[in-house]
Amino acid sequence: MTIVIQIIFALIAMLILGSALMMVLAKNVIHSALWLIASFFGVGALYLLLQAEFLAVVQVLVYVGAISILILFAIMLTRAADLAGETGRQWNNRWWLSLAVAGLLFGALIVPTVIGETWNVAPTEVAGAAAGQATGIAGAAELGRGFVYEYLLQFQVIGVLLLVALIGAIVIAYDETARRRRVLTLAEELELKKRQEAREAKEAKQSRKGKGEKPLPAPVPTDTLSKGNEGNEGNEGLVVR
Amino acid sequence: MTSFPLLSIVLWLPALGALLLLLLPRNRDALYRQVGLMFTVATFVVSLGLLVSFSTPAGAAASAAAPPTMRLLEQLPWIPAWGVGYSIGLDGVSLWLVLLTTLLTPIAAWASWNSITTQVRYFQVLLLLLETALIGVFVSVDLFLFYIFWEFTLIPMALMIGIWGGANRMAAAMKFFLYTFAASLLMLLSIIGVYALHRSAIGATQPGFGGTFDLLRIVADLRSGAFALDGNLARLLFGGFLAAFAVKAPIWPFHSWLPDAYSEAPTPVVILLSAVMSKLGTYGLVRFNLTLFPEAAGWAAPAVAVLAVIGILYGAMVAYAQSDMKRLVAYSSLSHMGFVVLGIFALNGLGVSGAVLQMVNHGLTTAALFLIVGMLESRRGSRDLAAFGGLWQATPVLGGLTLLVVLSSAGLPGLNGFVGEFTIMQGAYSSPTLGWPFLAFAVLGVVLAVVYLLRMFRSAFMGDTLAETASLRDLNRQELAVLVLLCLPMVAIGLFPNLLLVSVEEGVAGVMRGILVAVASR
Amino acid sequence: MEQIQIPPVDLAVVAPLITVVGWAIVLLLVDVFFVPAGQKRITGYLGIAGLVMAGAVAAPLWGSDSSTFGGMLVLDNFALALTWIFLLIGAISMVIALDYLPRQGIEQGEFYPLIMFAVSAMMLLGQSANLIVMFLGIELLSITLYILTGFAYPRLSSEEAAMKYLLLGAFAAGFFVYGIALIYGQTGTVQLFSTAPGQESLAEYLGRQTFAAVDLTLLLVGSGLVLVAFGFKVALVPFHMWTPDVYEGAPTPVTAFMSVGTKGAALAALLRLLDMALPSLQPIWLPVLATLAAVTMLLGNLGAIAQSNVKRMLAYSSIGHAGYLLLGVMTVSERGVQGFLFYLLAYSLTNLGAFAVLIALEQRGEAAWSLDDFAGLWQRQPFLALAMAVFMLSLAGVPPTAGFVGKFYVFMAAWEGGLGWLALVGMLTSAIAAFFYLRVIARMFMQEPVRDVQPQLFRGLTLGISIAAAGTLIFGILPTLLINVVQQTALAVGR
Repeated sequence: MTIVIQIIFALIAMLILGSALMMVLAKNVIHSALWLIASFFGVGALYLLLQAEFLAVVQVLVYVGAISILILFAIMLTRAADLAGETGRQWNNRWWLSLAVAGLLFGALIVPTVIGETWNVAPTEVAGAAAGQATGIAGAAELGRGFVYEYLLQFQVIGVLLLVALIGAIVIAYDETARRRRVLTLAEELELKKRQEAREAKEAKQSRKGKGEKPLPAPVPTDTLSKGNEGNEGNEGLVVR
Repeated sequence: MTSFPLLSIVLWLPALGALLLLLLPRNRDALYRQVGLMFTVATFVVSLGLLVSFSTPAGAAASAAAPPTMRLLEQLPWIPAWGVGYSIGLDGVSLWLVLLTTLLTPIAAWASWNSITTQVRYFQVLLLLLETALIGVFVSVDLFLFYIFWEFTLIPMALMIGIWGGANRMAAAMKFFLYTFAASLLMLLSIIGVYALHRSAIGATQPGFGGTFDLLRIVADLRSGAFALDGNLARLLFGGFLAAFAVKAPIWPFHSWLPDAYSEAPTPVVILLSAVMSKLGTYGLVRFNLTLFPEAAGWAAPAVAVLAVIGILYGAMVAYAQSDMKRLVAYSSLSHMGFVVLGIFALNGLGVSGAVLQMVNHGLTTAALFLIVGMLESRRGSRDLAAFGGLWQATPVLGGLTLLVVLSSAGLPGLNGFVGEFTIMQGAYSSPTLGWPFLAFAVLGVVLAVVYLLRMFRSAFMGDTLAETASLRDLNRQELAVLVLLCLPMVAIGLFPNLLLVSVEEGVAGVMRGILVAVASR
Repeated sequence: MEQIQIPPVDLAVVAPLITVVGWAIVLLLVDVFFVPAGQKRITGYLGIAGLVMAGAVAAPLWGSDSSTFGGMLVLDNFALALTWIFLLIGAISMVIALDYLPRQGIEQGEFYPLIMFAVSAMMLLGQSANLIVMFLGIELLSITLYILTGFAYPRLSSEEAAMKYLLLGAFAAGFFVYGIALIYGQTGTVQLFSTAPGQESLAEYLGRQTFAAVDLTLLLVGSGLVLVAFGFKVALVPFHMWTPDVYEGAPTPVTAFMSVGTKGAALAALLRLLDMALPSLQPIWLPVLATLAAVTMLLGNLGAIAQSNVKRMLAYSSIGHAGYLLLGVMTVSERGVQGFLFYLLAYSLTNLGAFAVLIALEQRGEAAWSLDDFAGLWQRQPFLALAMAVFMLSLAGVPPTAGFVGKFYVFMAAWEGGLGWLALVGMLTSAIAAFFYLRVIARMFMQEPVRDVQPQLFRGLTLGISIAAAGTLIFGILPTLLINVVQQTALAVGR
């Protein structure tokens, strides 16, 4: 039985590592993202092997279902123009150095922990845990109970943490009704760039005609593209990069 | 012991004046000057009262192991958790230095009337704060309190050099501050070391002892043998103290801040800097290095004395080469402080008493010399020796007083410089650690001092009268009064040295009790 | 269906924490629904009131020594003193931000609740006795700070700083988690010390072992990783690379807040870990930490010398000060703990004040932070110049300022802990540091103005600077006031 489990573990581990490696090596960003999904699946399988069914399902739902899709969306939205001819390598000329350093660090961490070390296999139950619980520790029921009993504090703190992250996302990515910038579509961005270039060219011409003073940097035309910005002092306008 | 806090009044009166100055209305420069002078003079008058407590000789020390006898001792807890107290007191060593400070600060305040014309209010404030800090250093008998005052002298002094100094003032002020601050940090570490060692040594026999920074307590324990400071660690701690004092005094080769600071500082500042501030270093050597580390002092005495002798000769030779009078006096100051250090590390009563006496003498003469240089500079617009000549004809009174001061500085018998230097040389000769070679070099130093001082006097006051100097006016009544005020004690000390020596020797005896034991046991 | 038992929670232990978090959540809603745009300083006032309130709530708890949540959170005098320091830091940061935000055009009401969340995270770190809680505290603090760093969002430097901070912070978090896993792997517990008899904890575990018999590799490697993570958060050399850029790019009140708050909270947590869970391993970690401290003091201060931008100089100097704070942490002694607290408060007041002066010099769109902009400040704004002089002297450790007493305290602790050589290094680096602090003073008082800079003072800013300067001087002249308090914070160190 243990042999079978070990073989399964080895297969899953190979899947995880292999797809992780491919994710780094793939030339196409979309492919990388797909390999990442495969890797997430492998981790889910590992949870199953450890009898943590709930975690396995969560892994698939959250990581495969939500996060990966989010990543794909992000890639598609931001790099749409490049996708067709995407060939960028994900490493530079110093990759061997990074490999050596990473390998060294990894070895320094893993060797002492694997060799000559007895793991504390049976964790002592934390005092106060309800008696008569099932031995499994990762089922939905146990997790739920843990959240309101043993790990209530952590649960609450994570709640606050998520709230803060939410606020942060809103603060940073608030749209144009606020006084900040809004996210431009690609077309708008190109249009804006074009206008700015035209304007700069014009001003350069003017200043050559004028006293030869250095022209001030052209203010970005905030009035044309973004509505609702008027009269707001803090407006730095649209930012183009 | 007296219940009347006379010493505290002397200490805090100038600070009170500084506070008052800040509350006065704007743009009243004349008023600020008057208030500043008033408070410094008042401090001097009150400080004369300190002499009263020294009119009766102290009873003989209880035993050979007693700490120095402090009069007018005031002790209040300040940071009880650390054993830090506001404890101030006075003995024969510090008495005359306090009086020197309170005498010279009004003179500096007066000298600022003409030379300081911008931001008058803040100059007076800083001057008064500086006076409090200087007196505080001399009267503290708590290591922590001492360090606070010691460091606090730096802030007003650096600001005064940096704001009202010459063209290169900023660099000079920074250099002055950083040199002394860096060296003081080593002393701070030594203070912590002494405290911690004392705490663990006494704590071993008295559980619950929380440590103390009280100098008298530590010295008493040292002399009674309850606490021992010896071996290499003691020598390192000794070195920490020595570093701070050597930079402040300064001892060659730690003097490189001195020429810049002395020549950039305005006259009233340089008076305090050279006459009082440099004494902080040598006072510290007596009060802390000799008292706390008699054994290490004996160990280091020859080396430090060699540095002192080098300083004497080096200062004299460089002074001879100067054409800028202010720099000349600055280097002569370095040379004279070498004598003081030599006397201290003679490690006998004679040498240390002579050193204390010479500190006072040097304070008086240097202050007078810088004052005279300042007067000449304000008249002529230059301090270059070549710009003067034959002043004797134009300004006979100034010339006469200058001659007196120069002779005093050169050590003419009958004036104060002679008494101090003679006592120091006597001490060095009879010292257990030094001997006649040091004496020989010191005598050479005296000869050189005569040479460069008389050279300065001759080229400024003798010879052909230059056209530009012929019309310079002589002293007015104020200037005359101030210079005479400085010259009187010079003559008095020269004729009746016992006025000072009695109380100085009493104070030095308190310091030396530990040394004599340590040196005798070598 | 089985009844869910809600565990008994000692609310007193978490009362200040709940006050801050609850107030912040309510404040978020109040800000959205009741505070009109353009008057967000009202939110600020309410936030400050909340922090003051939390401080008052904490007051009657002084002297208690209790724990709750199965011992994961403790409340002792040490935690309470830290709580007050953090509340003060938060309040002063808000005060100096009141006028800064509208002037920079980045006024948003969320700023103040975010600061409150960060303060609560710092308090959590001060109270936690459990590695997981500690990790959550660090994460809560970090995420809040990422947001706050990028608060001046359209400004590129702010954005870059937030990005840099986020990436390196994520790294540090990874180290922390992996370290916890290894520690758990060896000991089977993540509790630092036992708060009830029979409870398993690291201190218990180590107390049972005889060192020759047990291979502690896992625990040591895990602790090493946790130390690296703390090193990132505290900005110890060699994990300090992000600091100057992030501190320079972040909005100035945020820089002020994190230069003192993050360091204080992370070091307080480290202090609990080292002094209460792992004191028996001191022979192993002391040389490592001592070396780190020495290098940190040295490189932080040397780096500051080269800066002509005062904000960047203060960033480097804060690295150096982390080294001094570390002196108090690593000498497992009561004196060390007291010194740490004193130094933290002194440094917080001083540094907040110094950054507040920078805010006064910061105009819309242009920051006047170069040394030349300080030239002649004494003639234009005597108040600012005097306050800045006090702060610089305090940072340099010149009496009579709180910074001096703090340095004295930690150096004393270091000497008594047998680390005389480290105290010597501290002294020498202080001498180096004096150079660049003094340079600012010299420019302000001894030079004529070079450029036309119009420092602007507002009521909030003046108040913040005055509080900081007054505290710096009062605790410098009468340190007993504070020493008496920190003396009651005796941790059960070295048990």
